[in-house]
Amino acid sequence: MKRLALCLLLSIFTASALADVVVIVSARSAVLHLTAAQATRIFLGKSMAFPDGAHAMPVDQAEGAAIRDEFYSKVVGKDHAQMTAYWAKVIFTGGDSYPPKLLEGNASVRRAVAGNLSAIGYIDRSMLDGSVRVVLDP
Amino acid sequence: MMNTIGKIFLLLMLTLSMVQAEPGAADTPAAGSEPSMLKFAGFGSLGVSHSSQPLGDYILDGTIPKGAGRSANWAMGNDTRLGAQVTASITPQVTAVLQIISEYQADNTYVPGVEWANVKYAYTQDAYIRVGRIALPTFLNSENRKVGYSYPWIHPPVDIYRQLAIANSDGIDAMYRFSVGEVDNSIKVVYGRNTLNRPTTTSSSQNMWGVFDTIEYGPAILHAGYQEREASSTSQLTGVTGPWVKNSDLSIGVSYDPGAWFAKYQWIQRKSTTKIGAMYLSAGVRIDDFTPYLTYSQNSPGSFLPGAVAPTAATIQTAMRSQSTVSAGVRWDLMRNVDLKVQYDRVRLGDNTNGYLANLPAGTILYGTTFHVISAVVDFVF
Repeated sequence: MKRLALCLLLSIFTASALADVVVIVSARSAVLHLTAAQATRIFLGKSMAFPDGAHAMPVDQAEGAAIRDEFYSKVVGKDHAQMTAYWAKVIFTGGDSYPPKLLEGNASVRRAVAGNLSAIGYIDRSMLDGSVRVVLDP
Repeated sequence: MMNTIGKIFLLLMLTLSMVQAEPGAADTPAAGSEPSMLKFAGFGSLGVSHSSQPLGDYILDGTIPKGAGRSANWAMGNDTRLGAQVTASITPQVTAVLQIISEYQADNTYVPGVEWANVKYAYTQDAYIRVGRIALPTFLNSENRKVGYSYPWIHPPVDIYRQLAIANSDGIDAMYRFSVGEVDNSIKVVYGRNTLNRPTTTSSSQNMWGVFDTIEYGPAILHAGYQEREASSTSQLTGVTGPWVKNSDLSIGVSYDPGAWFAKYQWIQRKSTTKIGAMYLSAGVRIDDFTPYLTYSQNSPGSFLPGAVAPTAATIQTAMRSQSTVSAGVRWDLMRNVDLKVQYDRVRLGDNTNGYLANLPAGTILYGTTFHVISAVVDFVF
């Protein structure tokens, strides 16, 4: 019984952790807010700029990371298989965009985004600090 | 088997890979990474199909010599292929791509051939020109029709896609893209030629040109295209080449795919000595790892255009070809980068035709009849 309660507690904790993705840019960036559609265009390689025209460089989390699947399902509206199919179509039709650069873990993404005015990433809300700004809270 | 252009590219790629290849340079399309000097990627499908009509073969298009039905109870030719692609970023502006595909072809083999081999010069992120062997964007899914993993079906609806087996053009193309707010528009123009082997003839296309426009807004895609060429056919037995005939392909395709479901519609009109139309409508829903879908497709019998050579019994028979298909299938994303699909097709032949059935014994009349096809495929990307 105790184990079951622990499992339940864990699953609730995990579920809430999964639901906590936020999209970030550097705290020094001029970008204050993005819509899901704007973020989607950047992460699908359809736009290489923020709405104000500044260069945008998306940063992805590792394949299989729960936060990554959460970002793509909540913001882009595609699951892992659909994203793979999307990039397969782009790459194997001689497309001119490539999947975003990969970084491992929330801390690496936060560090990279904080240090680069062009960078845009997504991390778990619990990892936010003053070095980055939330531009989309899906 | 490989032509000169392919050999040159292979050499170029090999040289580049010796100079530049480093551990970890290989990237899967799924894994994703920033552009590196050399990128390797591949795709493939392993498929099998069965047809209930034992008098004729059910084939994907006119390049395939044999299929399920008369020649075999079960056949793999329609949906089995392996593709490999290497992309070399030579400078920030210059990219070279080589794609090799092994698939069932007219000479009854799977000998690999060069699908694309071109060099791209990008003036900006939104404008480029390419020279070499280039994918033709004739219809909505023409460029990716050989990459099974990229779409929900066993293969793009046969009634439309078998109308034009030509997949690439040796020549030049240019693309310009611009955005208005969140609407992306890309215009592509193509000029080139193509040689395509069929089981008993070789089809040549020259002065082939086209204009294609793709508009994307969120989950919506609209593709419109017009392509024209002069085509002639050479008999492999006699070596006799027929007259050059102007061919045109006009098409409109729309796709709406917000994630939880999708709907696609396409309409085409082909003109050569005859005018024919074809369309499909397809929709599906995504339930976890499963994507069940339904498709209706059909092509209409051709009508002879004014000025055409007087029809013969054989050309009338060819012009009359028409059929419609109701398909039901499911895609299962069973593991990372791998899907399994099963599809059922109910094919009805037009009233005065044997449709597109191949290898029928002389004198066979199956007009207006119905047959059933069941297919399964495993698609993967790497």
